[in-house]
Amino acid sequence: MSDREFAGKTAIVGIGSTDFAQLYRSTDPERTGESLATEAIAAAIADAGLEKSQIDGLITGGLPHYEPVAYRTGLTDVRFVVDYPGAGRMCAMALMHAATAVHHGLADYVVLFNSVVFRSQGVKFGAQGQGLLYDTIYGMASPGAQYSLAFTRYQAEYGGTEEQLGAIPVAIRSHARMTPGAIMQQEMAIDDYLAARYIAQPLRLFDYCLINDGAVAYVVTTAERARDLAHPPVLIAGTAGRANFREWYVDLGFWDEACRSMKADLFDPLGVTTDDIDCLQVYDNFSVSVLWGLEGFGFAPQGQGLEWVQNGRIALGGELPINTSGGMLSESYLQGWNQHAEAVRQLRGQAGERQVPDCDWSLYWCLSALPGASLLCRDGLL
Amino acid sequence: MSGEAGYAKPLPTVTHEDREFWAAARQHRFVLPECRACGHVWFPPYASCPACLSFDRGWTEASGRGTVWGFTIMRQPYIPSFEPELPYNVVLVELEEGPMVYSNLVSIDNDDIACGLAVEAVFEDVTDKITLIKFRPS
Repeated sequence: MSDREFAGKTAIVGIGSTDFAQLYRSTDPERTGESLATEAIAAAIADAGLEKSQIDGLITGGLPHYEPVAYRTGLTDVRFVVDYPGAGRMCAMALMHAATAVHHGLADYVVLFNSVVFRSQGVKFGAQGQGLLYDTIYGMASPGAQYSLAFTRYQAEYGGTEEQLGAIPVAIRSHARMTPGAIMQQEMAIDDYLAARYIAQPLRLFDYCLINDGAVAYVVTTAERARDLAHPPVLIAGTAGRANFREWYVDLGFWDEACRSMKADLFDPLGVTTDDIDCLQVYDNFSVSVLWGLEGFGFAPQGQGLEWVQNGRIALGGELPINTSGGMLSESYLQGWNQHAEAVRQLRGQAGERQVPDCDWSLYWCLSALPGASLLCRDGLL
Repeated sequence: MSGEAGYAKPLPTVTHEDREFWAAARQHRFVLPECRACGHVWFPPYASCPACLSFDRGWTEASGRGTVWGFTIMRQPYIPSFEPELPYNVVLVELEEGPMVYSNLVSIDNDDIACGLAVEAVFEDVTDKITLIKFRPS
């Protein structure tokens, strides 16, 4: 859903995050996601330069119930409330919903967040399986195993080595090392990547995202209101989604059709091309998700993504920096939300030593059962 | 192999939608739901046809033949009862009739598994009531 009239009419005006590294070091089984969400919300409202009383819309994510955060933040009488399940695939959907709501006057300022307490509660992703295709009966457990299975197929069709795949987590790690609050600060070379154990072969430990605690919130309003606020507005140029429900989870074409469809929704009405994109802030649940999105969105030729990501092309200073704050592989598993916060910093020109020069356009995608994407840009380009 | 009392791994939760499938497997038959209205064949066995929404469901005998679409070698424990078997394979098999199924390959070393490998169904009686369909190279 993207049209020329809607493009750029809404904006992200405030972002707030918890300190992921500090939370990672100090696990606490009694930690509450509601408290983390409140911290991020307060930071996002302050970042926008708004008064809390101006917030009249709330989109909650990641928590068992939506009311408790309203009590903690005093957002008890807002006129627009939606609750999303705590799933990364809902990240672009929540942003889409917020933008639509403010565009049509359902609310003036929507605060939306995702909050997770995974590490402190010992959450594991896998043993329960998806439960859709008798998976656990055969020991098929964890999304990583499903992406791993698809990667064997990818290699059979197109070739490519595990060492080539390692270029993705290695580049993203180098970005985390420049990011305050990013969890993984240790230097990682390709040999370190290859020395790590297999989890579901052929994927290794560092092909997998982190599991941690934290929250990210943002404030969305109209572009018109945004121009009176604290920071340069970051415009929502478009959002897109396309269901890709498969009982076996992974797409047999490596999400190529879903990516092409979302790209057409986002790019075509605006005349934007891949050449316009200055950085990617994408859903790196697994390294291969980055690979397949690069091919599906047309940055890399089909089947040549592994070659394409070599030699620093996707690192800061390269042609197309990816996940400049460390993504979910190395900064924090906030399920796409930390990527959007970083996109906002980059488009405001506030990313410090990580700043991508002349950053005008940032693209997000999530390749899952419910793929989503968003395109953000600086003010004045639409 | 039949009636291993000590089978500790997960078993299917049989429902009204798939009990005929499991009953057939128990008889070492591999059947797939087939729509009497439009002819569509699907899996897993939902009560109605995903193509035309008809509830007039019949069953067709599957050939049991297929090819390995992709595979993974599980190296880390997730499901405790599978831990003694690590590393073990999981495959996604594309059946001759079209549907995709998860399974395990037997009678092959993990190192020899490859995408595109032709396979055929084998039946493993794991309890008195449940028979699992696995695959071996054909």
